[in-house]
Amino acid sequence: MAVHIDVASGPGGPPDVEAGPEGKAIEGRSLGQIAWMRLRRDKVAMGGGIVVVLLILAAIVGPHVVQSPDTFHENLIDPTFQRPIGTFGGISLAHPFGVEPQTGRDLLARIVVGAQYSLLIAFLATLLSVIIGTFFGVVAGYFGGWVDTIIARAMDVFLAFPLLVFALALAGVIPDSSFGLSGNTLRIAVLIFVIGFFNWPYIGRIIRGQTLSLREREFVDAARSLGARGPYILFRELLPNLVAPILVYSTLLIPSNILFEAALDYLGVGLYVPTPTWGQMLSSAVTNQYWYIDPEYMLVPGITIFITVMAFNLFGDGLRDALDPKTR
Amino acid sequence: MKRRSTLAATAVGALAALVISACSSNGSTTASTGGSGGSTASYNAGVSQVVNPSTQKGGTLIFDSHASPDSFDPGNTYYAWVLNFSRLYSMALFTYQSCPGNCGLNLVPDLATDMGTTSSDGKTWTFHIKPNIKYENGSVVQASDVKYAIERQYDRSVMSNGPTYYQALLTDPSYPGPYKDRAKNLMGLTAIDVPDATTLVFHLQAPFPDLPYVLAFPNSAPVPPSADTGSNYQLHPLSTGPYKFQSYQLNKQLTMVPNPEWNPATDPQKKQLASKIIINLNVNQADIDNRLLSGDIDVDAAGVGVGPTAQAKILSNPTYKANADNPLNGFGRFVYIDTKVAPFTNLHCREAVEYAANKTTLQNAWGGPVVGGEIASTVNVPTVVGYQKFDLYEALTKPAGDLTAAKQQLSMCGQPNGFTTNMAYRNDNPQETAAATALQASLAAVGIKLTLKGFPGGSYYTNFAGAPAYVHSHDIGLAAGGWGADWPSGYGFLDALSNGNAIASSGNANIEELNDPVINNLFTKSSTLSGGARNAIWPQVDHQIMTDAGILPEVYQKALLYRPPNLTNAYVQTYYGMYNYVVLGVKS
Amino acid sequence: MIFFIIRRLIMTVFLLLVVSMLTFAIFFLVPRLGGETPYELAAQYVGRTPIPSEIHAVEIKLGLDAPIWLQYGRYVKGIVLGVHYNNGTDVSYCPFPCFGFSFRNDQPVWPQMTSDIPVTVSLALGAAVLWLIGGVAVGVLSALRKGTFFDRLSMGVALAGVSLPVFFTGLIALYLFSYRWSLFPNVHYVGITTNPVQWARNLILPWITLAFLYAALYARITRAGMLETMGEDYIRTARAKGLPERKVILKHGLRATLTPIVTIFGMDLGLLLGGAILTESVFSLPGLGQFTILAIQNHDLPEIMGVVMLAAFFIVIANLIVDILYTVIDPRVRI
Repeated sequence: MAVHIDVASGPGGPPDVEAGPEGKAIEGRSLGQIAWMRLRRDKVAMGGGIVVVLLILAAIVGPHVVQSPDTFHENLIDPTFQRPIGTFGGISLAHPFGVEPQTGRDLLARIVVGAQYSLLIAFLATLLSVIIGTFFGVVAGYFGGWVDTIIARAMDVFLAFPLLVFALALAGVIPDSSFGLSGNTLRIAVLIFVIGFFNWPYIGRIIRGQTLSLREREFVDAARSLGARGPYILFRELLPNLVAPILVYSTLLIPSNILFEAALDYLGVGLYVPTPTWGQMLSSAVTNQYWYIDPEYMLVPGITIFITVMAFNLFGDGLRDALDPKTR
Repeated sequence: MKRRSTLAATAVGALAALVISACSSNGSTTASTGGSGGSTASYNAGVSQVVNPSTQKGGTLIFDSHASPDSFDPGNTYYAWVLNFSRLYSMALFTYQSCPGNCGLNLVPDLATDMGTTSSDGKTWTFHIKPNIKYENGSVVQASDVKYAIERQYDRSVMSNGPTYYQALLTDPSYPGPYKDRAKNLMGLTAIDVPDATTLVFHLQAPFPDLPYVLAFPNSAPVPPSADTGSNYQLHPLSTGPYKFQSYQLNKQLTMVPNPEWNPATDPQKKQLASKIIINLNVNQADIDNRLLSGDIDVDAAGVGVGPTAQAKILSNPTYKANADNPLNGFGRFVYIDTKVAPFTNLHCREAVEYAANKTTLQNAWGGPVVGGEIASTVNVPTVVGYQKFDLYEALTKPAGDLTAAKQQLSMCGQPNGFTTNMAYRNDNPQETAAATALQASLAAVGIKLTLKGFPGGSYYTNFAGAPAYVHSHDIGLAAGGWGADWPSGYGFLDALSNGNAIASSGNANIEELNDPVINNLFTKSSTLSGGARNAIWPQVDHQIMTDAGILPEVYQKALLYRPPNLTNAYVQTYYGMYNYVVLGVKS
Repeated sequence: MIFFIIRRLIMTVFLLLVVSMLTFAIFFLVPRLGGETPYELAAQYVGRTPIPSEIHAVEIKLGLDAPIWLQYGRYVKGIVLGVHYNNGTDVSYCPFPCFGFSFRNDQPVWPQMTSDIPVTVSLALGAAVLWLIGGVAVGVLSALRKGTFFDRLSMGVALAGVSLPVFFTGLIALYLFSYRWSLFPNVHYVGITTNPVQWARNLILPWITLAFLYAALYARITRAGMLETMGEDYIRTARAKGLPERKVILKHGLRATLTPIVTIFGMDLGLLLGGAILTESVFSLPGLGQFTILAIQNHDLPEIMGVVMLAAFFIVIANLIVDILYTVIDPRVRI
């Protein structure tokens, strides 16, 4: 399965982010203000954004509010069939999302704690991709020449790697405690590294393209004629104009990373038990075939992943439309 | 007496089948009500009787397996289902009597003529093989072929999967194997003499009454030196059984057809009914379950039972339930409590674990009372000779655990508020993972905090839980595991688990590192006894292990097996805990 | 053109070498760095109750005791020059390309891989046709009918398609159409040469599952691209010239949109040919994806190396074909 950052590798080139009309005094609005106004009008995107914020809040605050995700409630399980007693997977006032088959653990608690891990890994992996990708993309685009060639070839190599295979293998190959870390901390680090590191060319390519077109702009020439040197131009002139595409593609990369982490869980290289992650819950429902006798157990994490990914996608789409002056 | 009634039932069933098939040769009645007059299908019928007894030939018998075998070479396999399956194309010296119930634990001669004779000091055994047994290519089996098959076991770089008993038992342990042995006719192993074409003499280092059991492994099936192709032999082993290889695509499918050189008179434990046997490899377990229920395939080769979905379907549907069996599969699931890792060096800390563990959640982790098994209170399992029921830690009377008694034990060992320790388990085994999690939760109630450490199953016993050095250096107080006897005598089950002399530096099965002189002496004593006196030793060993609290037994594992209605002669072979693969046929 | 292809092929070899080095490093070096000894590594490839001498013997047989760079050198040499393998009774020769012998069953890796290729190719190509046609068509129609109910509905479904994990959709499809409603019972792979009808029938569910995910993606991309293109000046000119609308859309509009689609298609197809791991796992199809999962589960290093390099090869070749196709689609591109 190809893991995509979705529409990001743009049709007809990356969105053209115009340099802000700085210096014009009359009725000047900064790019940020324009984008925000546009975004506010896009109800669907705002909806997505609100859901995203709520999820993040739930991930941060939730674990302290819900009951323990690890307590077994074997009295809620039918021993012969190993499924929750009661309809809809054992939904009750005490357990609003029902309980897990076989163990009786509260699903709401597991979803909320799982949000922490799933979102943390996805965010940090995206951050890693963005940092590496932006750095190399800008350097390649700005300096050109053999620097560009080397970096572009490196991107080719990384894009040639069958990503899922690598992630699978790497996560499975690293011994239980190495590099000073162990257990779940090590696993989280490995997952972040694998997902983030192998995905950098997606962002790298786009940033490189952006930089290539930006560096021919007049404002760069102007800065150069004023005596500015490389690093100044890179950081003060180019980078601010790259913020928009970086932001957009990060927002679109996060959901893909959430799905990727879920796939890794399905294939058995997720975090260690009893730590819950959404992907692990889904994969447990799938591989242990609980979904037939207790479909709720599959639907809860499945729908959660779906809503989260949708929300990020909608918000990201809206953000991109808002930042791109050509649409509408 | 059980055998006679089985024979009678078979005869009646066969007659009935003949009558019915004669009448309905154009008919299309499905066998959903178990048409033949013998034993009708009902829940658990296969545990004690032959279901659908039949001598009808023809049809294709289809197996599905969720994984590849370690090897189809009879000399290079240790998987339980392959031990069962390989008898279809190989004839070891001994095999298990083909019958349902406890008679299925009896060892009977297969290629051998009788149970063998020992010298007075017990160190020399003489066996004779049946004359005129032929391979699939028509050549006659020689005793030297059996010796050669056993010699192959000595080159562990080529044959690296199977059991390693011969090196430990026979007198020539440093023999390098026939691939490095250039002695005349490749017969360099001095531990076995071949005085003539049908006689074998084994020389042992010490008396070992269970030798015939060791020779029941498929690695004693004859291999002619000229036909041996080393690690490629798995692609087409030369058959001495009722079927021979027709085509084999690695990791995908094996097709077998009847072996015309097989003589049923020489091999009464097996049948040659189906006109084709196919086994599909690496099929998704969910698919296997569904295809079994819909009748698209006949047997789930792994024989460990169906998954939760199929279990629910079967148990709630009377038609399906009539085709299901729920036998003990011969495995005990345990948690080893390492007596050499603090604080488990103190008996009372170990007993605290025995009392505190919630056996019900453990049972659920393994699948509940039907698919998981019965809550266990002893190390030995009911299908092994020498099982005696006793319960030292209220596992059966207080399955949710006895927290008061546990806390008492904790104060007695000087840890009234509990302690922290590590627990090892196999993270690619979902039930074991669930069991470890359950134990973590139940011990937390008395303050014993477990840090779970998962390891891959492939190297669990060689590098981690079964390597005492690793266990000590990583402070692993508890280790999950399971044990199925290599053969159904108390020795086979208990020795490697608890004999102080059996502690190995790698592949160690005595993970609790028990070195109790009481137990060690019982084992030494057992090698001088035989029969009933010998069998009386095993309950004592079991009792001592539990008194030492070296092992926390979880369940006597069960399996929910399904036999589609068109499968004939289906019954559970108690030793394997799965259907007897060498007698099956299909109704066409 | 020819020189371009030759140059790219040379680069391909270089690329594969780099990939192989990195793969080797990950599988052989990283565990060493993490503290695993060759003895411990070898212990994974023996049976249940090994004796220490056995583990040593296996260690030597598999060459694990040698330094990493030497193991790598032997491996690469083996690919090109073939390997002589002692299977006990005699020595067999595995010719180019020899990706070594499985650590598990001592059989050559290359034939095991090639027997799986037809399955993956069947899956990938069939799904590719479906998603390309379906996705692009829906995308074009949505763009042309922007703002209508059809547009909103199809983009909504498309968004759902990219938001669901593929093993989830696959499982639901299997449950509904195979188990519950028996439309496609007993899904298993049948070779096209054995029985073309059964081949297609068994692959329909996996095709649809896979195609759904990608079609959704391609619909979104096509729509965005078409919207951008249809706003260009030359489209207006074409219309003003009096060209029929269909020609405007297909010949001028779609053509310009195709470039990024072709790029992504090449990447996606290349990746899929290396093994549609999740789909093959859900539907039990014995292709390269399942081969990969088994290899990793069994820690079978030669098989892992082999399948990774094969997958990388497909990706690189796919990119090469895509670049060649550019010249056909976009006359401005000169290579």
